[in-house]
Amino acid sequence: MNAFSYARPRALAEALRLLRNGAMALAGGTDLIGLMKDGLTHPESLVDLTGIEGLRGWSHPKGRGLRIGALTPLVELETSDVLGKTLPILRESLREAATVQLRTMGTVGGNLLQRNRCWYFRDEGTVCWLKGGNRCFAIDGENRYHAILGAQDCVIVSPSDLVPALIAYDAEIALTSSRGTRRMKLADLFITPRGRERREHALRPGELITEVRVPEAALSRRGTYLKAMDRKAWSFALVSVAAAARIERGVARDVRIVMGGVAPVPWRVIAAEKGLEGSTLDDASCADAADRLLAGATPLRDNGYKVTLARELVRRALRSLTA
Amino acid sequence: MLRGPGATDVALTVNGEHLTVRAAPRRTVLDTLRETLGLTGTKKVCDEGTCGACTVLVDGGPVYSCMTLAVACEGKSIETIEGIAKDGELHPVQRAFIDADAFQCGFCTPGQIMSIVALLRENASPTEDDVRRAVAGNLCRCGAYPNIVKAGVSAGKRQK
Amino acid sequence: MPRVVRSREEFEGEIFESLVLVEGKDLPVHPAGTEFNEIAKSRRRIDGQQRVTGRAKYTQDVYLPGMLHVRVLRSPYPRARVRRIDTKKAEKLAGVRDVLHRFNAPKAAFRGEETIFREEVRFVGDEVAAVAADDEQSAVEALRMIEVDYELLPHVVDLEEAIGDVAPRLETDGNVAEAATHKRGDAKRGLKEADFVIDATYRTSTQLHNSLETHGAVASWDGEQLTVYESTQHAFGVRQGLRTALKLPFSKIRVLCDYMGGGFGSKGGVGKYSIIASMFSMRLGRPVRCVLTREEENLAAGNRSATLQQLRIGGKAGRITALEHTSWANVGQGKWVANPTGPTNTLYDIANLSSKSYKVVTNAGSLSAFRAPGYVEGTFALESAIDELADKMGVDPLALRRKHAASPKDPMVGKRYSDKHLIECYRIGAAEIGWQRRRSGGIRGSAPHRRRGIGMATQIWGGGGGPPAYATVHVNPDGTVVLTTGSQDIGTGTRTILAQICADELGVELDDVQVRLGDTDNPYGPISAGSLTTASVGPAVRIAARDAKEQLLGAAAGVLETPKAELRLEAGVVVTKGARTPLSEILGRVDNNTVIGKGGRHPNDPELSLRTFGAHFAEVEVDVRTGEITVEHVVAVHDIGRIINPMTARSQVEGGVLQALGFALSEERFLDRATGRVMNANLENYKVPTVKDVPAKITVKFVDRPDRRANNLGAKGLGEPPIIPTAAAIANAVANATGARVRHAPLTRARVLEALAIAEAKS
Ligand SMILES: Cc1cc2nc3c(=O)[nH]c(=O)nc-3n(C[C@H](O)[C@H](O)[C@H](O)COP(=O)(O)OP(=O)(O)OC[C@H]3O[C@@H](n4cnc5c(N)ncnc54)[C@H](O)[C@@H]3O)c2cc1C
Ligand code: SF4
Ligand code: FES
Ligand code: FES
Repeated sequence: MNAFSYARPRALAEALRLLRNGAMALAGGTDLIGLMKDGLTHPESLVDLTGIEGLRGWSHPKGRGLRIGALTPLVELETSDVLGKTLPILRESLREAATVQLRTMGTVGGNLLQRNRCWYFRDEGTVCWLKGGNRCFAIDGENRYHAILGAQDCVIVSPSDLVPALIAYDAEIALTSSRGTRRMKLADLFITPRGRERREHALRPGELITEVRVPEAALSRRGTYLKAMDRKAWSFALVSVAAAARIERGVARDVRIVMGGVAPVPWRVIAAEKGLEGSTLDDASCADAADRLLAGATPLRDNGYKVTLARELVRRALRSLTA
Repeated sequence: MLRGPGATDVALTVNGEHLTVRAAPRRTVLDTLRETLGLTGTKKVCDEGTCGACTVLVDGGPVYSCMTLAVACEGKSIETIEGIAKDGELHPVQRAFIDADAFQCGFCTPGQIMSIVALLRENASPTEDDVRRAVAGNLCRCGAYPNIVKAGVSAGKRQK
Repeated sequence: MPRVVRSREEFEGEIFESLVLVEGKDLPVHPAGTEFNEIAKSRRRIDGQQRVTGRAKYTQDVYLPGMLHVRVLRSPYPRARVRRIDTKKAEKLAGVRDVLHRFNAPKAAFRGEETIFREEVRFVGDEVAAVAADDEQSAVEALRMIEVDYELLPHVVDLEEAIGDVAPRLETDGNVAEAATHKRGDAKRGLKEADFVIDATYRTSTQLHNSLETHGAVASWDGEQLTVYESTQHAFGVRQGLRTALKLPFSKIRVLCDYMGGGFGSKGGVGKYSIIASMFSMRLGRPVRCVLTREEENLAAGNRSATLQQLRIGGKAGRITALEHTSWANVGQGKWVANPTGPTNTLYDIANLSSKSYKVVTNAGSLSAFRAPGYVEGTFALESAIDELADKMGVDPLALRRKHAASPKDPMVGKRYSDKHLIECYRIGAAEIGWQRRRSGGIRGSAPHRRRGIGMATQIWGGGGGPPAYATVHVNPDGTVVLTTGSQDIGTGTRTILAQICADELGVELDDVQVRLGDTDNPYGPISAGSLTTASVGPAVRIAARDAKEQLLGAAAGVLETPKAELRLEAGVVVTKGARTPLSEILGRVDNNTVIGKGGRHPNDPELSLRTFGAHFAEVEVDVRTGEITVEHVVAVHDIGRIINPMTARSQVEGGVLQALGFALSEERFLDRATGRVMNANLENYKVPTVKDVPAKITVKFVDRPDRRANNLGAKGLGEPPIIPTAAAIANAVANATGARVRHAPLTRARVLEALAIAEAKS
């Protein structure tokens, strides 16, 4: 790890000021410290956000949606019984994410902004396309964990468990910089690296995520989160699926299906979701939706199994909504 | 206020003792414990958040000390394997580990024990599944897991 | 008087003949019906307190005053010539004390080569240079400043590519070398005459040890004496390696290993890191620490070879007629090969058999012994093939094995086994798993898309141990005891077991015995590997304890003025007719004294074959749509002679089963062929089992009959047996459940889904 200076401001304004000079934000550090140890990023200074008042914890003001502070440790979302009732998918998705220790350290904001786990990317000695090199080593290298959908120059996959769950509930985020605050759909935070865009997130320099908001309307949806790993714990998803829908008299409305681990960004196919509007989520329509989600799949040498796996998980997740 | 990049004074509470250590911002809690304070019970196995051997409690929560900066623990309380036995009496989890033969080489053991100590504070009578969830972030290459789970459950019973 | 005798021992599947020094006569094995005080009793580990409090000092925890830290620069290329090294910038960095590399390092013989830093580096991770600095961070930074001019050379890392014609030749006589062959009967004819033949190819991936404590050493040269703390399974082996490399006499080298964080075979001798640390220490006169990082551990500290294995096996009239097994193993830059055909040659009494094992060199890290090297890989293939044959023949796979498993003779060497209860293992295991529930084609699982199946596999291994192994037992005037031997406790419970044997024979309380091991100033102790520690060191300890007891009783006879023959020593008390005198009181009555008992392991009977046997049964559930395997129950039954400590023995078996579970389901090293780099030299993507991967139930059973011809304890080893048959048992259970045969371990989802698709297409 390179040498750096460090500050732990108490006020957001001070953090934003410090961030203007090329400092990086530090939350739980579970990703950032790893990247620094691997020599993949060398910030001159770190601004520790965990001391800032008001960015930690969650609230549910009546009728105005669920607000989660960006610095809330993941473990708080997982263990709160109230949240377990308000938005059970949070607990479901987090229970199999990383480990108790990492969830105690890691925060919501950091989880959204964690970088990909491609092993060529994480290998300091390999200068691949995403790191400014001229080729992607994974496309014709070791790629069992890589993307089957939506990738071009770089076949990374979206690693987070929390993100698909939140997107299935139309989550939005608030971003603040010294120039002000903007809001965006969480889904829009993620960028497919291609062409000149050699990055994964739409965060601007000096910007912080302060909060995640789930609209009230979405909270009435039922949801399911399924994750396939190659051992029974402590693995990033080979494939994960978050599915949610409002079930009205046995039929589905506002269906959302979001996959992790299959594409550089959380993967949705709007047509597949629309196709299930008003469906009873019977076997055939779920299978059909799964096929639509996977229709464009272009597996690489070692990751064809993800297509089978994803199709099955989508089917199961959807089926469980009316079960 | 920016500190570093050189060493600065960091005030910590380690196993109940208030102390100040000199540490550069890049120094981890793990290195501080092992090298500065000579507390070598906490083990370094991966140094990158992937094994759990370095688990300590910060303000009561289990964390990987190899991924935690010492400066970030300013004013916080750190508990390690050396601090849980009180007045020469082993902690119930420690006793349960010996009785259940919950270790072989013992290298993962301090981390496993700290994870279960944290669990028991939240949940005084954990089930086998609770223990499994608590130590799912602590690898044991010797495969002492079945006995670790037994030890965790029986430590809960013993505490009462 | 010590005398020299000829001895024949088995080590990791190979037979060695040697001359050994012994003294006196061996003790007879305990008569049947002996009431033990300590042996055969479950005892808590005597070093438990140290381990659970963090007080146990492992090599990693040795911090000496003034100690320097070493980091090693490793080749980023799989094959290259090191043309030039410029260390000027690195040397100028504050805190850097010294840099070693091929142009300035002294010659040092290591595994048949003359230097530590090769001119031609041959795998990613090969040592290029080393820096000693005041702290680790400075050493790391210095590495980045060393400029190396590499001339890249063509490389090959993949086993099957290396066998092929287009691969670069890494050795003058090619990449493939025959390592072992065995023939009996006429396999070709046996196959021709068979009614059913299975001809199949099996693969096993490279498994990495990932002991939680990485390899490492702290060396301290005080101008006269070199002291090396090393995380090792063989302190004396390290001493031998240091002597060869550094040309120092034994008397000037002391190797210490008190607590040790796992080795699983990979810590069998000196490493380059210990030689480097020693060289620096001798140059700089300061203690030097060189402990590998997790990444280095996984690049350069050994592995279980990937294998490609072809089996042809024929059956007729409910029996196996012939077996042909050919194996190729990727040894990387290793100089030897573990033999996957070992179990094929020795496990079953099959008349027509031919086997060949090839060693294949590549530009990858060297293999090193990994818990039952060769046997784990070979048993996966052999025992899978036998099930495939049984299936084709329409016979019960256990019944088929029974027909070939009863012989009291080693089919390879023709000698009688000292003891064998394999059929008994089958009986116990079948009852425990409920073998009668097994249906061809499997049974329904807990959900419609889940299938359940049962499978089993057999295990054979050595574990008989042998000389040389020595121990001394010192009795203090207060009746407390110090047992000393050069052996080490690598997590197997050696300290505890030896204390039990000592206390039992001597007649003192377990708590009164201290065990000192892991020190080359102690009497010689063998490598803690090959399941030989209990059976090698244990009998020596017993003799030493007996020797001490005889002396104590002699002393007691003098003090109590009673004939020695009327005295007994029980739980630290000298018992005569009608009187009980604590040992401490007796010794207290004489002036300061030390009673020293000595013992050495006597040779094995050269006419016998000493083996351990066992069988594992597995019940699994398979999600046929996602390829997920859940192991529900493993039954492990072992015939290893007398069990000294049932509690630690059970732990050992569970541990073996779990390491095998990783080999079977998730552990696999990934090498990038183009760059030769290891993509998962870490614990994130090299997936060892977690607590959640543990089967819902593991049943451990022992036949627990002393092997009266093996040694004076009737005990054999248990380190490797439990890792050997599990993977095949699981693969057989998966095949039983689903009809899908996965012939490549680990059985990942990708492989299971592929096999399921093939099975579906066939049906
Ligand atoms: C071994 C391992 C296994 C894991 N397994 C899983 C898994 O299974 N599922 C899963 O979902 N995750 C997994 N993770 C990832 C883990 O959940 C994330 O690393 C964690 O959530 C990141 O949060 P953090 O607070 O530690 O972020 P940090 O590491 O502190 O920060 C991550 C990035 O976000 C930036 N950042 C953080 N907070 C903000 C903010 N509020 N505004 C702007 N920028 C910010 C930082 O500058 C940095 O670039 C795993 C991690 C490890 C090391
Ligand atoms: S997938 Fe992306 S990160 Fe990985 S090697 Fe290719 S370009 Fe680099
Ligand atoms: S050493 Fe910290 S998690 Fe491995
Ligand atoms: S006891 Fe050895 S790693 Fe857990």
